[in-house]
Amino acid sequence: MALLEVEDLRVHFKTDDGVVKAVDGISYSVDAGQTLGIVGESGSGKSVSSMTVMGLTRAKNATITGSIRFDGKELLTASEDELRAVRGGPISMIFQDPLSSLHPMYKIGKQLVEAVRTHQDVSKARALDRAVEMLGLVGIPEPRRRADSYPHEFSGGMRQRVMIAMALCNDPKLLIADEPTTALDVTVQAQILDLLEKLKRELDTAIVLITHDLGVVAEVTDDIAVMYAGRIVEKAHRDDIFAAPEHPYTWGLLRSIPRLDSPRDEELVPIPGRPPSLINPPSGCSFHPRCPYVREAHTRVDPLLEAVPGAAGHEVACLLPPATRRALWAELSTGADPEAAKAVATAAGAGSGTGSVRREEEAS
Amino acid sequence: MGTYILRRLLWTVVLLFFVTALTFLIFNVLPTADPAKLRAGRNQTPETVAAIRDQLNLDDPFLTRFFSYLGDLLFHFDFGTSVLNDEPVRPLIFEALPNTLMLVLGAAVVWFVIGVVIGTISAVKRGSILDRVAMTTALVAISAPVYWLGLVALYLFSSDLGVLGLFPAAGTYDASRGVFTSISSLFLPWLVLAAAFSAIYARLLRSNLLETMSEDYIRTARAKGLKERTVVFKHGLRSAITPIITVLGLDIGILLGGAILTESVFGIPGIGRLSFDAIQRNDIDIVQGATLFLALGVCTMSLLVDVLYAFLDPRVRY
Amino acid sequence: MSRSSLRALALSVAAASSLAIVACGDDDSGSSSSSSGAATTASEAPAEGKQGGVLNQLGASDVDYLDPGHTYYTGGYQVAYATHRPLYGFKPGQAEQVPDLAEAAPEIAADNKSITVKLKKGVKFAPPVNREITSKDVKYAFERAFSANVGGQYATAFFSAIEGAPTEPTKGVKEIAGIETPDDQTLVFKLSRAEAPGVAAALVMPITMPVPEEYAKEFDAKNPSTYNKNVVASGPYMVANNAEGALTGYKAGKSIKLVRNPNWDKATDYKPAYLDEINMKTNGADASVDAQQVLKGSAMALDTNPPAAELKQAATQYKDQYESVPAGGYRYFPLNTTIKPLDDLNVRKAILAAFDREAAVKARGGAFTGDVATHFLPPGFPGFEEAGGEQGAGVDFLSNPRGDMAVAEKYMKAAGYASGKYDGDAELLMISATADPGKAQAEVAKAQLEKLGFKVNLRLVPQDAVYTEYCQVPAKKVAVCGSAGWFKDFQDPQSMLEPTFKGSNISKDGGNNNLAQLDDPKIDAAMDKAAGLQGDERLKAYGEIDKMIVNAAPAVPFVWDKTTIIWSKDVQGDVNEYYTTLDFAFTSLK
Repeated sequence: MALLEVEDLRVHFKTDDGVVKAVDGISYSVDAGQTLGIVGESGSGKSVSSMTVMGLTRAKNATITGSIRFDGKELLTASEDELRAVRGGPISMIFQDPLSSLHPMYKIGKQLVEAVRTHQDVSKARALDRAVEMLGLVGIPEPRRRADSYPHEFSGGMRQRVMIAMALCNDPKLLIADEPTTALDVTVQAQILDLLEKLKRELDTAIVLITHDLGVVAEVTDDIAVMYAGRIVEKAHRDDIFAAPEHPYTWGLLRSIPRLDSPRDEELVPIPGRPPSLINPPSGCSFHPRCPYVREAHTRVDPLLEAVPGAAGHEVACLLPPATRRALWAELSTGADPEAAKAVATAAGAGSGTGSVRREEEAS
Repeated sequence: MGTYILRRLLWTVVLLFFVTALTFLIFNVLPTADPAKLRAGRNQTPETVAAIRDQLNLDDPFLTRFFSYLGDLLFHFDFGTSVLNDEPVRPLIFEALPNTLMLVLGAAVVWFVIGVVIGTISAVKRGSILDRVAMTTALVAISAPVYWLGLVALYLFSSDLGVLGLFPAAGTYDASRGVFTSISSLFLPWLVLAAAFSAIYARLLRSNLLETMSEDYIRTARAKGLKERTVVFKHGLRSAITPIITVLGLDIGILLGGAILTESVFGIPGIGRLSFDAIQRNDIDIVQGATLFLALGVCTMSLLVDVLYAFLDPRVRY
Repeated sequence: MSRSSLRALALSVAAASSLAIVACGDDDSGSSSSSSGAATTASEAPAEGKQGGVLNQLGASDVDYLDPGHTYYTGGYQVAYATHRPLYGFKPGQAEQVPDLAEAAPEIAADNKSITVKLKKGVKFAPPVNREITSKDVKYAFERAFSANVGGQYATAFFSAIEGAPTEPTKGVKEIAGIETPDDQTLVFKLSRAEAPGVAAALVMPITMPVPEEYAKEFDAKNPSTYNKNVVASGPYMVANNAEGALTGYKAGKSIKLVRNPNWDKATDYKPAYLDEINMKTNGADASVDAQQVLKGSAMALDTNPPAAELKQAATQYKDQYESVPAGGYRYFPLNTTIKPLDDLNVRKAILAAFDREAAVKARGGAFTGDVATHFLPPGFPGFEEAGGEQGAGVDFLSNPRGDMAVAEKYMKAAGYASGKYDGDAELLMISATADPGKAQAEVAKAQLEKLGFKVNLRLVPQDAVYTEYCQVPAKKVAVCGSAGWFKDFQDPQSMLEPTFKGSNISKDGGNNNLAQLDDPKIDAAMDKAAGLQGDERLKAYGEIDKMIVNAAPAVPFVWDKTTIIWSKDVQGDVNEYYTTLDFAFTSLK
């Protein structure tokens, strides 16, 4: 049994403008000691889905359905008290901006002690010992002295280490890291990722790493789920995502990673267009307005997340025929632009109409 | 911090000097009417006016008079004498000060507590009936003139004029009866003075708290598994209340110059009444003394607030 | 919103100033109601009151001075007349002066140049002085009032006829040769001018209240004198003091506590002095609140007019709890006779004729505040009846209180304005206070002048500058003073008409009280003659002078003020018409 199993999770918020389908039917699971990367642009629902695991999206205007089982226990229907016992205990979380995520007016020692004592019945002194121990573990020099400092007295990287220490001080089984490196500069990013990697190894903690940057997850994760418009559009082992990505959106993400081995003057290719509205998502495949390879039928048919033939554990939600996808990626991975890739793939005849029609029929 | 306070104190002295100079200039050089003529009465002759000018040293050059005033102020702590009845101003002010202090500090406690409680409830129950009722009431309280509110309070609750007769009547406040005996006479004035402030503070706290509750560190606090109450009170309120304490300090500082209307309606012999009466009678030295006190009050409170802020918000350093 | 209990005796004070000619802008004692039927002038002496009890008087402002040589306002007078024995005083409800410290009426020499006053025996100073009062104590009281240290405000105005009286404030207390004390009970005023009746009438003022020299001189040596805080009493009451004489019962701007003077002997005094103690609160609450407390409470009285709403309430619901008395003064719009076209008598008469005086009274607060005036000497004042009573001089240009345009046009035509309206270019400068009711009544006046075609430049200035900086300064060429009033100092018509309308009193350098700058030799001559008359002749003469002034039309007289004092249901109040507020020595608890 997986440590965390999310099934058909939907999180909808009623707002004045309409219902925001922030998360619209996602399923994934994380095993103990494993790392899952959830990748997507802002607004893709990646943060909302993980906040929901913590019960932090519960609100009057939120409708949450599906199932979240942690250690076999259903969290969606758990009481607030039960959830609180989980939060910061077996599941803990760290956030994007470590400065704004730490209370500016309390010393960090105090904030860690509070975290410890929320879940462990220990004295303040013991709790402080634990806090100091954790600060040391995450690489804060002179941790006992630094426990007496305020967040603004730390550098960005050090603050994120503090956040991690706080998240780990109750020996969580699962750590949800929401964009933990986004606010940090590149060298510090690497240090933090190394730290997470090291902690995972040493503490055997499962990690859900949420990021918009595929580059970040490349080093650390086992599996990767790519989210778009509230759904998972591709899910696979890390190596498969990098070696044989199936979804045009994933291609776009991959092409936007700066690579050390690419020529300096090579342009990074951002994905054209903007993330879709979650209130009135595009009809058919929600990625179709931005997809260079869109076909007319894609605007009507909603693709399902399906196993990629011949690739175990690799799922994708794309209406393009598998052969076409492979041909396109083959071109794209050499550095060709989407138009060129499309031309080559069509010329090669890989884009067999029959495949596509069949899938479309299936879907409808 | 030490040098900061020292610098601020020096600035306060400089500021007070300018306030003194300015008020002295306004009341002595640019008066609407000659104080000597006003004092001479309707049967004045040029000789009487001259005698009064002589008595009040009005014929000395401006600077001489100013520095003599300043000298008395600095070396004898002498604020001059009332033109009207020759009473020395210092005891007048010092007798009025505790009354204003009692009124203002008591009211400040009332409005701070009410403001914070209502503001917090409103923010936590945002959008609820409770919130709407509270915020509408607040709007009414802010718009209601203190003078009117005072009369309404008296006609409703005072023991002699009120329908309900719950609190001592206007004019019963008498500091000489001792602090604790006279406190009951302050309940109504406190409530009236605090009404508008409570409302302002409630609205201020509500919006501060709403803003704070959407901060990332509140999410962190929740993610720690803290109880919602702890999140609101320990994490949310702690940040939301800090700027309000600054405002509180300044409000108190300004009110130390006198809560004129409340003091008038309830007959509390505070600085406000003193200076109001003095202004009406063109009693220059009292007006000047009271103005200086107001300036001193504001300066002191703003310094206090700044120092306090450094303790409340560790990010602030001087 | 201000209410001033510093209602000048002499004038209705400006809240903002202690100036004397005031006129407006101060006590908004008005009432908008016109159910004035309830207002009474209780002139019958009250039945015997109950002895004892403590009265609390609420008020919003302090007395001006406790020093009888310095006080010149209602509040100070109220205390002074309860705590001292002037030579002559007034009973409530009685216009004629009665001997107080004096034994009998003043003896005026045939040549009108000397006044002899006999003092009672056995009248003693209160503690700590305790000795019997002699004529020397009155003489000293006069002498000190002329000194700059004490700052008497009317000594040179009313007593300059005394031989050797200083013409300007003296440095230190100087002896006045013209006040003689042949023995302890005799006081003789030698006059350099034949003005004995006028001076005798002024012997009611606080300047006549005895001051023991041996006790007071150390205080009077200071500039300003500190006797104000060490006053020694002679009347039925005294401000509570300590063994040294320092007034412990006086808390400036807060309260004044009057207790009985143990040395006061009822046998020597006409005052009943029922009360045991009087607590005057001089820093009361809001005027409305104070008034409500008085009406609904117990053993309380208000120091001055209640606000309009409470005035009406008293008149309708608490009919036994108030008394209205004439304030003893007139309010008027002076027309500067030196400024064209106001120098033309017919133009002035036209203005008087056109003027809606009721509108001006309404602007002050309506009928409760006073009656529409038809001339100058006010109701209840000596000379009022002789001046024509309520009808006045019977001139056509003051016959209609609402104004009469036909009459006005008649006079305009007589002045050479064929259309019956002013068609010249002159612009009249009118000065008024920025605050109501001064502003409101000035606006009425402006409208009245405009009815006749005048252009009016109404300039609003701070209350305290209206007189000292404008109306009283001829050089400022103020055509119309938007608000002026003149109130009695004592019950003698001379002081009501001479300062304001005698040509020889015009002071070009400022401080001028003849605001209209009326300079009519016939009127001046009549005044000079009347000054030497006594008794009915005197009143008749001043009644005629009043009529002459009306016929010279130097001002629009528009209201005779009333003062209304309210008290609690268990109080038997009595208002003294002389100083127009409660007489502590005649008031009792039921």
